[in-house]
Amino acid sequence: MWNICPRHEHLSRRALLKGSLFTAGGASISNWGSLFQSDLAAAEVSKKKKHCILIWLNGGCSQFETFDMKIGRPTGGLYRDISTNLPGTRVCELMPNIAQRMDKLTVIRSMRTSQIDHPGGIYLMHTGYPRAANVRFPEMGAIIAKYCGEQDTDLPNFIKISSQGNAGAGFLGPKYHPFNLDRDGRLPTFSTSNLDEKIEMRRHGLRDFVESQFAEKHPADPARMHREAYQRARRLNNVQEKFKVDAEWEKSRERYGDTKFGRRLMMARCMVEAGVSFVEVGQSGYDTHADNFTGHKALLPTMDRAWSGLLDDLEERGILDDTLVVWMGEIGRTPRINNRSGRDHYVRSWSTALAGGGVKGGLVYGESDKDGVDVKDNPVTEGDFFATIYSALGLDPEAENFSGVRPIPLAPFGHNVVKDILA
Amino acid sequence: MFGTNTRAVVAVSLSFFFVGSCSTTFAELRDIIDKQIESGWQANSVKPVERSTDGEFLRRVYLDLVGRTPSYEQAVQFLDDKDPNKRTKLIDELLADIRFGQHQSDIWDMIYFGRNPPGYGTDKRKGFQDWLAGHFNKNTPYNQWTEDILRANGNTVENGAPMFYVQYKGRPEDATEAITQKFLGIQLQCARCHDHPFDDWTQKDFYGMAAFVARLRVVDIGTKNKEKAYSIGEMNAGDVLFTGPAIEQVPGKKGEPVKPKYLGAEALEEPALPEGIEDPRNFPNGKEPPKPHFSRKDAFAAWVTDPENPYFAKAVVNRVWGQFMGKGIVHPVDNLSPDNPASHPELLNALTDEFVAHNFDMKWLMREIVNSRAYQLSSAGGPAEAKPLWYERARYRPLSAEELLESWVVATGYNEMLLANGQKPEESRLSVKGVTWDYVRRFFGRPNDGVGDFQGGLHEHLYLNNGQVHSLISTRKGGLHFELLNSEEPWEKRVERLFVQVLSRRPTDTETKRFTEHLSAEADPRRQTSEAIWTLLTCSEFRFNN
Repeated sequence: MWNICPRHEHLSRRALLKGSLFTAGGASISNWGSLFQSDLAAAEVSKKKKHCILIWLNGGCSQFETFDMKIGRPTGGLYRDISTNLPGTRVCELMPNIAQRMDKLTVIRSMRTSQIDHPGGIYLMHTGYPRAANVRFPEMGAIIAKYCGEQDTDLPNFIKISSQGNAGAGFLGPKYHPFNLDRDGRLPTFSTSNLDEKIEMRRHGLRDFVESQFAEKHPADPARMHREAYQRARRLNNVQEKFKVDAEWEKSRERYGDTKFGRRLMMARCMVEAGVSFVEVGQSGYDTHADNFTGHKALLPTMDRAWSGLLDDLEERGILDDTLVVWMGEIGRTPRINNRSGRDHYVRSWSTALAGGGVKGGLVYGESDKDGVDVKDNPVTEGDFFATIYSALGLDPEAENFSGVRPIPLAPFGHNVVKDILA
Repeated sequence: MFGTNTRAVVAVSLSFFFVGSCSTTFAELRDIIDKQIESGWQANSVKPVERSTDGEFLRRVYLDLVGRTPSYEQAVQFLDDKDPNKRTKLIDELLADIRFGQHQSDIWDMIYFGRNPPGYGTDKRKGFQDWLAGHFNKNTPYNQWTEDILRANGNTVENGAPMFYVQYKGRPEDATEAITQKFLGIQLQCARCHDHPFDDWTQKDFYGMAAFVARLRVVDIGTKNKEKAYSIGEMNAGDVLFTGPAIEQVPGKKGEPVKPKYLGAEALEEPALPEGIEDPRNFPNGKEPPKPHFSRKDAFAAWVTDPENPYFAKAVVNRVWGQFMGKGIVHPVDNLSPDNPASHPELLNALTDEFVAHNFDMKWLMREIVNSRAYQLSSAGGPAEAKPLWYERARYRPLSAEELLESWVVATGYNEMLLANGQKPEESRLSVKGVTWDYVRRFFGRPNDGVGDFQGGLHEHLYLNNGQVHSLISTRKGGLHFELLNSEEPWEKRVERLFVQVLSRRPTDTETKRFTEHLSAEADPRRQTSEAIWTLLTCSEFRFNN
């Protein structure tokens, strides 16, 4: 899918292999100590190289102002619904572009999750697990980077652009830690080397010698992590051009809407095209305890335009079938409208959406009751949701990683894959 | 206050310990530590690695006690010292060093506030940090200064202690969680919304504790020394209302008032409020709030820090042990739950009892730990884990942002360079010309994840490879670069100087050979000298305290 010719390809590959030999020497089952073993397992779990883009609605978007309107009910709110290109399905008037792409979407109107506050919800909806004192669960991005990502690559496999979540790679280890671009989707400060290539190689040669000497006698994990991270930082130099998308943006402005969020989503598409397996893009401001309606009116048109643009763009480039687009926040919002025209946190019944690779499209799954207070049928828990995402990407949600000696499945124990929405 | 039962249990376990596992009752704590750790190795068929080399120990103990690496002269002096007691001697010197307090303050300030406290002036807490550093240097008993933190008298600029509560302004539940976790090693957060599934704690326990701090208010008393000063006021009335489990809550339903009750102990007996006392709606800004008729906060502070509180001393010795040994005897250090057992329960009891018997003497506790055999093991060999379960090898701990910057300055001879050029080093140790503290803080400020495992990713290498470290490798007179370049000695000797100054040890023969080759490859070795210094500044051995 991508054909870059890294400047020192053969050298960096050799260096990487050399670095990994130390690993094999100190192989143990603890944590991510046995990368090689689990890489082999990863190849079995993963059937095909897929990608995933997560659109993260930070603060918790309202289901009543998007996909689950309650027109004429006391919980209904201010906005009207409009028809869509999916007969019989109506969505909020703030999303006219998405309304015309409902044939590509699978909307779940029956989410029921367990964490109602932001930190808990953000952790839960990034990892699939509630926070625990003794296990550091990896984010979905790290799991997808591990199982769907190219193992020998110059680009990080887990990229975040202006989003939330601080669980990172958890027990999967720093190899799958997110790489944060800046707010505009550009490389962060200090990403670019100004050294002459020859001098950089000479300096690297000396440093490599020091690290090898140390590694011979010191099998400890942190030192190995430090070596691996250095290699990845170095390899980033080979792909600097991939992050220069100003010209691409000029061509795409119209499609994504001329907004920062639009540009971030376009960047996500560029990264996926370059081979990155997981990109997360955030849009903040949905925590509308006050002025829910003006709040959503300010955010949704931007989102609607950019999200639609992304789906069109992926489709035109022929990569929508290999790219799962997930749309969610950490929580939903209350049916009850409070005395500040706001809606508070709600997780008993809310909505998320999926599109692209591995899911059907043109489908609304589950239903809430007439006021949106509770799920009427087909509730989907966080475990079910994560298991379904992994299944859509061709991963076995019951595949295990180890936290210490404890086996941890990709999706929490007791989940049910929502088979009805898988393609 | 804790009833006779608790005391009896403590006494029984103590006598059991001395009879069962210790040959002499007058043993120093370090000997008890060695014995307990060794029996852990035996019981689990674990073989410890060798004793650390002098170089390993030197760098480790400098970083742990004073937060930076030794200078070239300090390193040479120690490495060449023939005194068999030189390690013990060095430990005593470092405990008496003025920088000891500063470094411990850096560490404990992170425990109390973390990197990103919530505001209200908590981002500038020099008052608190200096106050804490002073207590560490004076070796004020731990229970005394923690009681001061919880009593929170005075104001944040002039005494510092009230700053702890300021960060929980308007959030008594968060204050309750933080106090139980940081001071008592108990995690109550689950009981905030439902009865704890594993531990005995119920929601009533949680709100009984919250009742002690629910009347506190953060009062802005105006500007002192050009900084905003806050005091902690306490209302005479006001209760926590408990509405039942979160899942059963109904909008609009009023809760029952909950009276203050000590965790796992009795309720607070408080005098009735005399008639006619009325609280203001708010304490007015600009002046010290009045004392309440009866202070729940003070009663709480006395209870938390009481030597007989079964959690208090145990939580802190476990924390200090973790600070030096990488991992608590109970780990994570702030989760002393029956669900999370200790690796060496007898050792934890011994540390606790001895610490109380020594009147909460922090320097004594630290001195005993760093004099132990386990602390002084090598970091070579052993298992792959950063913190071996049975302490059979030294742990790896990433340097904090403060330690890194201070050690970079020492390693490059940056201050010597300034002095040699008639300039004075900046007064604040974190203001270094050419290096932006905000960047160091951003790239290295949180090297660990929530439970203390190293999370360093590629971001920090981007900074090391392409960022400002280079500006410390100055070519001007007095700096390491200049000294190496202008020395008359053979390159082999200069390589030795480089290693001792940056890594606090002498190079191996292979290292000397490789570096000499690198440095003498060209007629003008200026660039190669920079590269050699950069290499040692950024390598794994420098990145970790190991």
